[in-house]
Amino acid sequence: MGTEKAVIEIRNLTKFYGKHKGVQDVSMNVEKGDIFGFLGPNGAGKSTTIRSMLGLLRFQKGEIRLLGRDVVSGQREILREVGYMPSEAMFYPSMKVKEVVRFAARARGMDCTKEANRICEILEVDREKRVQELSLGNRKKVSIVCAMQHKPKLLILDEPTSGLDPLMQEAFFKLILEYNRQGTTCFLSSHVLSEIKRYCQNAAIIKDGAVIRQDTVENLARTNVRRVKVRHDGQEEEFVYTGEMGALLHRLSGMNVEDLLIEEPLLDEVFMHYYDHDLMDKN
Amino acid sequence: MRMIILKHELKMNLKSLMIWTVCVGFTCFGCLLLFGSLEESMEEIAQSYSNMGALSTAIGMDKISIATIDGFYATEIGLIFAIGGAMFAAMTGVVALSKEEEGHTSEFLYTLPVGRRRVLLEKYAAMTVLVILFNGICIVWSVVGFILAGELPPRQEFILYHAAQFLMHMEVGSVCFLISAASRKKQVGAALGLAVFLYVMDLMCRLIPDMEKLKYVTPYYFSNAADIFTENAVDGGMVGISMAVIIFSVSAAVFVYVRRDLTA
Repeated sequence: MGTEKAVIEIRNLTKFYGKHKGVQDVSMNVEKGDIFGFLGPNGAGKSTTIRSMLGLLRFQKGEIRLLGRDVVSGQREILREVGYMPSEAMFYPSMKVKEVVRFAARARGMDCTKEANRICEILEVDREKRVQELSLGNRKKVSIVCAMQHKPKLLILDEPTSGLDPLMQEAFFKLILEYNRQGTTCFLSSHVLSEIKRYCQNAAIIKDGAVIRQDTVENLARTNVRRVKVRHDGQEEEFVYTGEMGALLHRLSGMNVEDLLIEEPLLDEVFMHYYDHDLMDKN
Repeated sequence: MRMIILKHELKMNLKSLMIWTVCVGFTCFGCLLLFGSLEESMEEIAQSYSNMGALSTAIGMDKISIATIDGFYATEIGLIFAIGGAMFAAMTGVVALSKEEEGHTSEFLYTLPVGRRRVLLEKYAAMTVLVILFNGICIVWSVVGFILAGELPPRQEFILYHAAQFLMHMEVGSVCFLISAASRKKQVGAALGLAVFLYVMDLMCRLIPDMEKLKYVTPYYFSNAADIFTENAVDGGMVGISMAVIIFSVSAAVFVYVRRDLTA
């Protein structure tokens, strides 16, 4: 399954928390230069997968390779080239922003002052403030600076825009695209489906600890799901239909149809179709 | 990588170090200055203390007189320094690792290319430096107190006592460091309780003959000021046990911490 161009290779990842399943037999590949989306409902296993990739969790079975190295034996070398942005950014409360950013750079043995200052300017980060004085959104910005200042080969972003205002979200994604053009691969876990649609080339959907689909965003969005709006007998009815067109037409022929609209659903509704267990069962 | 974690830890703990050295060190200093004013009544007090039977033995007043400044230092001030120092070492050790998970900074720290083992060892080194600084500053306070009281401490006994005390503090700190490695929350109460409980264990093994074996468990026994000031020696076997406990605690901390999951 692995290729020379794969930046993330996950094979049969299995992680149990005691008896409770985190993820089981998760396999995924992310190619170099991709902006890859990672979707799933709460508790699906997104954070478990990401934290296993970063060495924060010890998994029972499987293999994870990042940038061609095994995450268990080559963790320090991997982390030199990876920038990580957690969903909840926390730093040492008494430290100033500039001290946190410098600490992260020094831990890599690098001086990233120029790039850090540039990102701080773009995101309007006050470097003199102490962490305890920052709002959630501003702490997120600091997290972005720490993740990106060393120009990593791989960016792993866990719900990166939660807490950011729309202008900063725009600025953030401009940065992502800029880094991606320079060769950085981005792995983006998000609940914001419009971000996935707009910025990601490929995506995987995880549910109940298993990857249920991995494909291009275009293919994932392509579906035989249709939104049907029909006015009949003075009433309006709207539903999502995933069956055969012939059966739908047969159903409609039994009604006194006054008006009919059949359209493709929004991407959000397509992905919600994957999230929705009951809908999947019916199909 | 220029010991970045070590420097960071020292910076983060500077305030705590200052507070503890002022509290313990200044108390030692103040008590030494107080001796001068109490010197006349000390003879009577010394007589009373030395006639309290097993209790006199337990607190060392049967072998050294509180009426002398050396005896006063070994019994009264030595106790403050021992318990204060053990509590400082315990508190420093027990928060060293667990504060990262409790403070939710583990995702920041452990996704830097430093490695868990290195983080752990640098944090332990930082704890060691802090205990050395604590001991050093408090010793300076004590020496200044002696000088202002018009005397100098007995050199050999003083050096031997403080070396034993440092080892005792390191043992307590190391055990608490192991607790920190296994715990997701700062167990400050347990650590401070352990520091005090080990002192109580020392009292018990001196008071109750059936509990004599506890002297091999509590590091307060071999580092007792009254014993060292009168015998001018430290039990080598117990020093060996103490060092073994330290080595075991650090090794076990590494073993546990490198293998377990870290919460966000």
